[in-house]
Amino acid sequence: MEAVAQSKSVYLESFEQLGEQGPNWLRALHERGIHAFEARGFPGSREEAWRKTNLRPVTQTHFPVADSQGVAPKALVERLGDLGDSYHLVFVDGRLASDISDLSDLAKGLTVTPFSQYEDHPPERLTAALGRRVDIDWHPFAALNTAFFVDGAYIHVARGAMIEKPITITHIITAEADQRAVYPRLVVEAEDGAEVRVVERFIGDDQASTLVCPVSELSAGQNTILDYSRLQEDGATVMNIGTVNLAAQRDASLRGAFVADGGRLGRVDLIADLEGEGGEIDCNGIYLTEERQFIDFHTWFNHRSENCFSRQRFKGILQDRSETVFDGLVKVFEGAQKTDAVQENRNLVLGKRALAHSNPRLEIFADDVKCTHGSTVGELDEEALFYLRTRGISAEGAKGMLTLAFAGEIVDMFRVTGVRDHVRRVLMRRLGVDDADIGEIL
Amino acid sequence: MALLEIRNLHVNVEGTEILKGVDLTIDTGKVHAIMGPNGGGKSTLAKALVGDEAYEITEGEVLYNGKDLLEMDPEVRAREGVFLGFQYPVEIPGVSNTYFLKAAVNAMRKHRGEGEIDAMAFLELVRERAKRVKLDETLLQRPVNEGFSGGEKKRNEIFHMSVLEPNLGILDETDSGLDIDALRIVSEGVNAMRDGERSFMVITHYQRLLQHIVPDVVHVLVDGRIVKTGGKELALELEEKGYEGFDEAAA
Repeated sequence: MEAVAQSKSVYLESFEQLGEQGPNWLRALHERGIHAFEARGFPGSREEAWRKTNLRPVTQTHFPVADSQGVAPKALVERLGDLGDSYHLVFVDGRLASDISDLSDLAKGLTVTPFSQYEDHPPERLTAALGRRVDIDWHPFAALNTAFFVDGAYIHVARGAMIEKPITITHIITAEADQRAVYPRLVVEAEDGAEVRVVERFIGDDQASTLVCPVSELSAGQNTILDYSRLQEDGATVMNIGTVNLAAQRDASLRGAFVADGGRLGRVDLIADLEGEGGEIDCNGIYLTEERQFIDFHTWFNHRSENCFSRQRFKGILQDRSETVFDGLVKVFEGAQKTDAVQENRNLVLGKRALAHSNPRLEIFADDVKCTHGSTVGELDEEALFYLRTRGISAEGAKGMLTLAFAGEIVDMFRVTGVRDHVRRVLMRRLGVDDADIGEIL
Repeated sequence: MALLEIRNLHVNVEGTEILKGVDLTIDTGKVHAIMGPNGGGKSTLAKALVGDEAYEITEGEVLYNGKDLLEMDPEVRAREGVFLGFQYPVEIPGVSNTYFLKAAVNAMRKHRGEGEIDAMAFLELVRERAKRVKLDETLLQRPVNEGFSGGEKKRNEIFHMSVLEPNLGILDETDSGLDIDALRIVSEGVNAMRDGERSFMVITHYQRLLQHIVPDVVHVLVDGRIVKTGGKELALELEEKGYEGFDEAAA
């Protein structure tokens, strides 16, 4: 517990020394954040929700908040075009990079604004939304984010506005932020009857051993369609520990596409609340690990209302000595009758020393519900590999083909075309599959 | 000229000797039928020829076109023109039948030093060959064998063979699960490929397939050995008398 006590005081000390960071109107929230963190501390290794996540690299070093903005290397800036046409807001080391952002010709009804641009007069709806969806007393890294974030993106979609072009928020981490912490923050509010697609992406320099703790709060009003994609493609030595908070009101449809293939340690705590009757939250994810990477998806799907529908389908592909965790809970609250929930986690272990943990869970306090969950950890089907080889496909090509087919089922569900195409390319590259060798199987 | 020469082939499966010295020569352009009771080693012979690692070669050699077949990886055997129509074709979720075949065709073309097949030419080829074995076109876009009926799987194997155009087609119990119409269609597909250059090894337990694909030579494989070789009339004899006499002969 000594390290914990030390870490707490170091973060508090750092908070007090820094003084005001970001716009003044964030001060009260920052203070709430540091107090919550002080009261909570880093999780102990016996805490069930954190048992499988080795936090030592995070807790035994102090990562002061990145106090300057590095210059994003050209190669990283070029990657901004990977996802195709979109409105684009870019943060470098946690601060707005307006020169590489592009918010021109925003559609009617759409607001995309960095917090820093509001100076002293933030809209009331933003101050009301910021922090509303995240439980900082419960989540230490969300508390740290709340204490230290200096900027962030606010996306608001007016009632009934249908926004065709996706909005991409990219967080770039540069070598300047090595051994420092960056706290990205995103708030998305889709008002009743709106439709919008938001992509949040993390990329960065492979030399930066940065602690990245993002918090994203997304709220889908009545009868909205909100599509959220999250691409965790951090540089090789980044530790990215974040929370995503989704809330769906009556008849809202909230869809999530999650990809994690970067960083040395990655964890996402996805908290999804079905708050109004007829709401649906459908989240699909793929994680791809190699070498000694660790990727962890923890999900909490809370059915708080009747007739709601949720789907979680997560697939992992593990190479080398990497390790992954999927720990997912579907909780059906009393009175949430006619709940329809499915949770699936499938893992393909390609590395002999790779390790996949899978722990799907159900807690049901209503009596008229349909909930299923399934979990598998397996290797490539030897018979299928042999069959492909007897048709002339190389052993490597056959492995790639079967692996891509495994992932393809999830990738096909991604609704933002640019994201879908990009993830296919990433998969092929990571699996070392030659396009010509396998044809277009995805 | 001999396309395939099998000499004194011994094969173990999980430590048990299944093939106990098979000698067999197939000349270019000929159809050989391998008949025999269940458990005699017919499928073992087929799997060993295409390089399934579960089948351990303990003795003997196999020459294909004068080259050592057993030295080649399974995919190289395929690219050199050896095709196996599986007795139990594997389902491959997520991989479309057509794209898989295109990858296979291109792998073979690359092996021969040819460029990739043009997409339109490939589509034309696939449609024409699918029609030949009356394979429903919707099965082309579906994942390989997934949700196919037993008969559809067998037809799909023959369809693959007719697209890949091997020099040696090994058909392992292709007749099982096929009704009389399907049997005729599949046989016509095979017969259309008989051009005096291509050879076939047709493995079957029954004679009925051989009414449609008339073999040049019939071998009886019992207890891991070929115990009798004859002309097409041998198949009729087996149908009538069964394998009982041969069991004793092999013992």
